[in-house]
Amino acid sequence: MSTGGHPTNRRLRIEFIVSLAILLVVAGLPAIVTNAYWQGVIVVSMYFAMLSIAWNILAGYAGQFSLAPAAFGMIGAYATGLLAYYYHTGYAIGIPAAIVVSGLIGLVLGRIVLRLRGPYLALTTLSFAEIMRLVISNSIEITRGDLGLNVPGIFQERLPYYYLMIGVLLIIQVGLFYLLRSRAGLYLRAIRDDEIAAASRGVRIVYWKTFAFTLSAAICGLGGALYGHFAHFVSPELGLLQQTGVVISMVVIGGLGTMVGPLIGALLVYVTSEFLRDVGNYQLVVFAFLVIIFARFFRAGLWGLVLLLLGVRAPRPLAAAPATE
Amino acid sequence: MLTLDLLINGLIIGVFYALMAIGLSLIFGILKIVNFAHGEFYMVGAYAYTLAALSLGISPWLGIPLALVIGLLLGLVVERLLMRPLYSGYTSWGVMRDEYAVIVTFALSIFLINIVDKVVGPFAYKGPPLVNISRVTVGPLAMSGHRLVAALIAIAVIVTVALIIRYSFWGRQIQAVSQNRLGASLAGIDTAKASAIVFALAGGLAAVSGALLANIFNPTPDVGVFPAIKSYTIVVLGGMGSVPGSIVASLVLGVLESFGGVYISYQYRDTFGLFILILFLLFRPQGLFGERAREV
Repeated sequence: MSTGGHPTNRRLRIEFIVSLAILLVVAGLPAIVTNAYWQGVIVVSMYFAMLSIAWNILAGYAGQFSLAPAAFGMIGAYATGLLAYYYHTGYAIGIPAAIVVSGLIGLVLGRIVLRLRGPYLALTTLSFAEIMRLVISNSIEITRGDLGLNVPGIFQERLPYYYLMIGVLLIIQVGLFYLLRSRAGLYLRAIRDDEIAAASRGVRIVYWKTFAFTLSAAICGLGGALYGHFAHFVSPELGLLQQTGVVISMVVIGGLGTMVGPLIGALLVYVTSEFLRDVGNYQLVVFAFLVIIFARFFRAGLWGLVLLLLGVRAPRPLAAAPATE
Repeated sequence: MLTLDLLINGLIIGVFYALMAIGLSLIFGILKIVNFAHGEFYMVGAYAYTLAALSLGISPWLGIPLALVIGLLLGLVVERLLMRPLYSGYTSWGVMRDEYAVIVTFALSIFLINIVDKVVGPFAYKGPPLVNISRVTVGPLAMSGHRLVAALIAIAVIVTVALIIRYSFWGRQIQAVSQNRLGASLAGIDTAKASAIVFALAGGLAAVSGALLANIFNPTPDVGVFPAIKSYTIVVLGGMGSVPGSIVASLVLGVLESFGGVYISYQYRDTFGLFILILFLLFRPQGLFGERAREV
């Protein structure tokens, strides 16, 4: 598909440029936000941005609603955490190891759930996530259970972490842009829209579904490992279902199936939630409510809202549902 | 007598599981979705029962019908506000209706947990017992009086619901809609009403389950997460949409966990059910007694 003028590709390019602009703004923020605490908040929000982008590849583009993104973040964090704890390896080995380990587990999970759809897929990935969390938190001899593990840091200061996260997000977004612009992007969306039709046109369903699961898991693992090194600490709480709920909220509020959505969703939701925390911890109530409202009435999310306000035609909704099944 | 002890304890736990799982299974049957907010119906019931007794001084015996009514109402409201798009065809989600259901029920679960956390507080309350007898001996088995009474009430409720579903007019309509929604609507059945009844019933059952167990598992905002995960396993094991299947599967899971915790590994007992769930979804997605949908 080298037709640059195709509406899908034009939309993709706009989203790509906007997401680069957002990263640029975030990169400039430390000039205003000099408080180390708030810089830390933005670093954590970028961890969530990685999970959200990863989940969006799987759910928004390939249509596979996994409930395991936080579990893969936890797996990545523990991969580097355990290596550092037992073999005193640094981040240079720990982070690639986290990507490989979570990617491989994602590959296996992807192969296992190939035939499952909708509620069945959601339940299987949910049990997978819970098993992973229970195993890590109960294998006290190996992982120290709920006490968590101390992980060595990468830098002494906060700002280098800040720019490292931005750099990683930039690489992910650029890679994703080229991926989605290529045939692979078309295949993934074809599988999302109609798996049988896609298969009948020669899309290798098994290959691309597994690919989406592996890629998504690897990005989650990378994010989890970076978070572990930043926080100097990993614990099974990273894999709680509530964390997955937060990731899903971010993507749905930002805009599912767009390149900008997960990014603005994660940054806005997390940073706003830190503000709301001071006013009495209402953040999760507010966000869960927003998710329900967006999902129910305006699934294009904040990015769709921006497009609507600018007068750009919002992404065309999928084919109308049949009145009954 | 350890074996008999374990068996009966497992069966009693299974009865409580069944109370939750029947509603989840009915919802799956009629809308083909998993209600990820099911545990929060349980939580609301547990709080209704406990707070009615602790702050209003209402007798625990009235707390159970109160929990039932609140659960019914909550189920009705959720169905009316959030589930209608699943079958009325005016959702913008189009072919992604399953995904809509996952997101909305998941978000609803987080919403309810956190709003209760804000309004009532994150602390655990101790639910009052129905009867103040700390120890009853039934044959070789000893248990608290509350546990025995609660189990008997649960059995009575389950039997009533099973009979209603099987024989009553509304129950038959529900069966018809879950077998084939289009076919049922062609036969003049109000499918929207059937969905509303199912949701109300499911909410009420989960709330009663929460109320009965409030003395054993003290209500906290996230108390429902755990029983909800158990019921997912059960509905898969028993066949999504099958009421007798989920009753049998609840008893089986209760007994399995009771024995597994002693003979295999106590540490990992909560993972058994989840492994069973994955294995069943992969190799026998219709469950032990799954009902195949009938096509027109």
